[in-house]
Amino acid sequence: MAIDCGNIRRARPLLGTFVEIQASGASRADVNAGIDAAFDAVAKAHRLMSFHEPDSDVSRLNQFASRHPVGVDPWTYEVLRIAIELHFRSRGAFDITIAPVLQALGLLPGPGEGSRDVPQARTAHQVELLGDRLVRFSGPGIGIDLGGIAKGFAVDRALDALRGFGIANGMVNAGGDLAAFGPDPQTVSIRNPVDPQSFMCDISIRNEALASSARRFDPFRSDETTNSAIIDPTASKPACAIQGTTVRAPSCVIADALTKIVMIAGTSAADLLEHYRAGALLVLADGDIQISSDLKDQVSLAA
Amino acid sequence: MTKWVRYTLPAAAIVSIASPAYSMQYLSIAEAQKQAFPSATNFSEVQAGRVWKAEAGGRAVGFFIFDRVVGKHLLIDYAVALTPAGAVHSVEILQYRESYGGEIRSPSWSAQFVGKTSGSPLKINGDIRNSAGATLSSTHVTEGVKRVLSAYGNRLR
Repeated sequence: MAIDCGNIRRARPLLGTFVEIQASGASRADVNAGIDAAFDAVAKAHRLMSFHEPDSDVSRLNQFASRHPVGVDPWTYEVLRIAIELHFRSRGAFDITIAPVLQALGLLPGPGEGSRDVPQARTAHQVELLGDRLVRFSGPGIGIDLGGIAKGFAVDRALDALRGFGIANGMVNAGGDLAAFGPDPQTVSIRNPVDPQSFMCDISIRNEALASSARRFDPFRSDETTNSAIIDPTASKPACAIQGTTVRAPSCVIADALTKIVMIAGTSAADLLEHYRAGALLVLADGDIQISSDLKDQVSLAA
Repeated sequence: MTKWVRYTLPAAAIVSIASPAYSMQYLSIAEAQKQAFPSATNFSEVQAGRVWKAEAGGRAVGFFIFDRVVGKHLLIDYAVALTPAGAVHSVEILQYRESYGGEIRSPSWSAQFVGKTSGSPLKINGDIRNSAGATLSSTHVTEGVKRVLSAYGNRLR
């Protein structure tokens, strides 16, 4: 009997964007079941790590962890562990305790919203991982936001779910942060951060992840790009020197987080990129493009 | 060691690969119905082209509602599957359409979407584009689901 071999693409509204999953190389039933499980994994990551949902691990931590240790899901614990490691390796450029600053700048809802006194970012070492999935904040006034890393983590877990169904080729694209596995290379078109309606290059990936950050672009409000939602924790103000960046890394959680660091640190993030076996493409303020040497061969530029 | 290579892109070169439109057909209505309610043996139309009751062995196992919202410029087709009690079981995007640039007014451009089925996904430059670089907001779909819920959540039984 011939195997009914499905190549299926589906999309759902999750994580505040459209999550698209493509899979092939197994029976149609397995491919569909795998995609269902992958969407469930993304939804679970969202439920656990949303800043906005009152029952999420993040909300419970922000509410209680300054007072007593709070138990979290193993996924949340893992993201916190990676985030703290990135904080130290990036010398503070990556900081999940930026939430009070984002609130003061009106980028996140909360008590300090629109406040004239922008607080200093706390440092991530004030988030203590106590073992047994228990987390405590070392003092009052600390708030975390996993928005800079959780989406990438969700993509990685979705890929795990697909692999669990024996699927040979899979790709998960969460509104531009994506990862793929399998023997077939995937070509990804990268939007131009200066003009999001056009594409500036194609990047070919295989068994790896790609994440992008740009100055803020809200397609429902305006075609104009506005100030970045990425905040330099050392200055407590938006990062402006770089228009946008795309990072390639072995996992999407690392690619996602590294984009935030590259937006702030620029080419001086080279050592950190190398540590995580990652490469980056930067769009500079004057519109020029800089590509790390190890990513160069995967990029085909326009023209 | 990581080194950096610098390129200057002429503005014309960037625009030259701009895709005029993007459309992706994910699932047909029938495929999405089957996906949402695998156990269902029959889908009876409650409201033509819009609402179906999913049945298995003569019992309702849920409802399937087709709806459209405007994305940035163009319509997004999506489906909401409701449990028999009227809660959201799943939301699936059926077709996603967007334009890049000013081609939205051209009738020939809109015509390319007519009659597309899941068997003939629209391809741009011969290839379905995986795009990255700026996050598209799904707010309008989320609002649409809320409208579907308030319109049908309590009325379908």
